[in-house]
Amino acid sequence: MEKAIEVINLHKYFGKIKALNGLSFTVDPGEIYGLIGPNGAGKTTALRILATLIRPTSGSARIFGLDVEREANKVRRIIGYLPEEAGAYRNLSGTEYLKFIANFYFRNKREIKEAVYEAEEISGLGERLRDKIKTYSKGMIRRLLIARTLMIKPKLAILDEPTSGIDIIHAYHIRRIIKNYAKNYKVTILLSSHNMFEVEFLCTRIAFINKGRILVEGSPEEIKTRYEARDLEEAFMEVARSA
Amino acid sequence: MPNALGNLIRKEAKDMLRDPKILLSMILMPLLMFPIMGAAISLSTSTIKEATRSVAMAIMKIDEGTISNQLISSFKALNISLIEVKPSPVEEAIQNLRQTNITTLIIIPKGFTENITSGLKGELRVYSILRSISLSEVAKASVVNVPISIYERTLVRRAIAQAFPDRDPENVLDPVDVKNFVIFKGKLLNVSPQLLQGIFMSQSFGFPMVIMLLLISAMQIAATSISIEKEEKTLETLLTLPVGRISILAGKLAGSTIVAAAGATASLIGINFYVASIFSFMPSTSIDLAEVGLQLSPLAYLLLGLTMFVAIISALALAICIAVYSENVREAQSLVSPLSLLVMLPSVILMFADIEALPVFLQVVLYLIPYTHVVLASKAAFMENYAVMLRSISYITMFTILILYVAARIFMTEKVVTARFSWRRKR
Repeated sequence: MEKAIEVINLHKYFGKIKALNGLSFTVDPGEIYGLIGPNGAGKTTALRILATLIRPTSGSARIFGLDVEREANKVRRIIGYLPEEAGAYRNLSGTEYLKFIANFYFRNKREIKEAVYEAEEISGLGERLRDKIKTYSKGMIRRLLIARTLMIKPKLAILDEPTSGIDIIHAYHIRRIIKNYAKNYKVTILLSSHNMFEVEFLCTRIAFINKGRILVEGSPEEIKTRYEARDLEEAFMEVARSA
Repeated sequence: MPNALGNLIRKEAKDMLRDPKILLSMILMPLLMFPIMGAAISLSTSTIKEATRSVAMAIMKIDEGTISNQLISSFKALNISLIEVKPSPVEEAIQNLRQTNITTLIIIPKGFTENITSGLKGELRVYSILRSISLSEVAKASVVNVPISIYERTLVRRAIAQAFPDRDPENVLDPVDVKNFVIFKGKLLNVSPQLLQGIFMSQSFGFPMVIMLLLISAMQIAATSISIEKEEKTLETLLTLPVGRISILAGKLAGSTIVAAAGATASLIGINFYVASIFSFMPSTSIDLAEVGLQLSPLAYLLLGLTMFVAIISALALAICIAVYSENVREAQSLVSPLSLLVMLPSVILMFADIEALPVFLQVVLYLIPYTHVVLASKAAFMENYAVMLRSISYITMFTILILYVAARIFMTEKVVTARFSWRRKR
C-alpha cells in the first residue's frame, strides 16, 4: 500500500546547527500521526520540509509517492499546512481570506463557494467571518486557519502545534474539529505538539523526537505499556532519561 | 496560472490599500499635506502683503530744506501712513515709538537738502523697530526703501535733465535696449533665455522630483508587502499554496505597482495644488509649451513610459530582495531606506546640472546608477533624443533583468523563509 508519508534518513543543517539527524518514519493513509519532543527537537523543521518550505540537506521525503523536493508543486496541491505561528491578512474579512485560499484549489465558482461554506462550518465563526481579521482574537484566528487548512480537503494536513497559545475553549473546539474531520473525510494528519493530552486524544500513532531523530514510536497505548507509565508525559520523561 | 496571479494581485492591492498605515502615509498624507503646506505658504504671503500695506512710519525732520519736504511728499503719494515727530534725542524718540505700532523712524538730519543741492551725498537715518522674528516684520521694515528709491530716481532724472536738456533721461539711465532671441531645437524664438528658464526649471525639477517620489514610494511599498507577510506570519502559508513562486513574486510586484501608482497619483495631485497655491501670486508667462517645443511627441511619451515601467519593476524587485532579510516592516523600511540614495542622488544632481558638465568621477558614478538613466531619459524626451532614451531603457532593462533573476532565485529557494539580516541562530 502507498504510504501517506515516507521520510527516510532526513538530515538538515542550518549553518553548523544540526536540526535533523537521520529522521525516518512512515505514516499510513488515514492515520493521525503526532511528533512529540522538546523545543529545538526538529519537529518544525521536519514539518517545514514536508510542507515544501525548506529543503533537506540529505535524505528523502515523499508524500503519497511524490518527492517533496523534485515534485514540490504537485505536493502543494495535496497538502494543507498550518504553521505554528501563523497569521492571516488583517485587512481582509474572514470570508475574503477563505475565498482567496479556495481560489488556488478550485476552478469553478460552485466549488469555491462550497469550500468557503465548509470552512464557515468548520470554524464555527458564523457572522464574525464578515468582519476584518484584525478584529479577531488569537483563538478565532486559529480556528479560521484550521478551517482554511481543512476546507480544501487535503490528502495530508500538516498541523504544527494546532492549539498552541490559545485558551481551553478554543483548543477544545479545534481538537474536535480535527478529530471529526479526519474521521469523516479519511484525511491523513501529521501534527506536532507539546500537549500530551492533545496527542493522546487525537493521534493513532506518535513518535518521540529529540535532537533531530526519533527515539520511540508507536500508538499512545503501546508506548505507555512499554514504559509502564500512567500517561504519555511519564513515558516521555522515561524516554528522555534513557536517551 | 493567470487566475492565481490575478488572485494574488487582488489580495496584495486590497490588503495594502486597506492598511490604515499605508493609506495614511502613502495616499492621504501627500494628498492633504502638500495642499495644506501650499495654503499655509499662500496665507503667510498674503499676511506679509497685508502687513506691508498697513505699515506706519514716523519721520523726524531736523532739516527744513525743500528736498526734505519733497521726500515727505513722495511717502504721502504712496499712501504710507506717516507721523511727523518733533526733534528729540534718538533714544527718547525710539522709546516713545515702541509704545505704538510704528515700525520705522526716519531721521532727516540737518544739512540734508544743502548736501544734495551742492552735489554731496545726503544722509538719511532709518531705524527699524522689529517686534518679533518673522518675515512680515522684516518686510514691514523694508517698505521704507520703496519711496526713498522712487525719490532718488526722481532726483537723478532731474539732474540728467539739467545736464542734458536735449536728451530723454530714461535713455541716459538705460542706454541699451537688448532684444533677445533663443534658438531651441533648431527653432528661432522671440523670447529671453530668462523667460524660458522658468519653464525649463519646471521640467528639469518636476520630472526628477516625480521620478524620485514614485521610485522611493514603490521601494517602500514593495518592502512593506514582503515584510508584512513575515511580520503577520502569513508568508509560510502563502509559500505552501499550489501557486508558483514566480507568480507570488509577480503578484507582489504588480500589487506594489498598483499601490505605488495610487501613492504617486496622490502625491502629484497634492504637489499640483501646492505649486498652484504658492505660485498664485507670481505673474504667469504666456508661453505655449508646444510653441517652445517642450511638448512631448507620442514616441517620446511611449519611451518615457517604458523607462518608468522598467525602472519601477527594478526598484520593486530590488526592495523585495533586501526586505526578504528583514523580520518585520520596521526593519524592512530601515534596510530599504539607503536605496533611496540611488534615486535621490541622480535626481537632485541632475536637477541642477547636465551630466556632461560634472567631474568625470561623478559622471562614472552616476552612469553606473540605473536610476540616473531614468532622469536622463526624461530630459532626452524633451529634446527628442531617442538614441539616449533607447540607451537608457537598455541599461535599466539589463539591470531589471538581473535584479528580477536575483529576486526569483531568492523566492525559488528556502532563503525567502530563512533569510535574516542578523547573525542570530536560525531554526
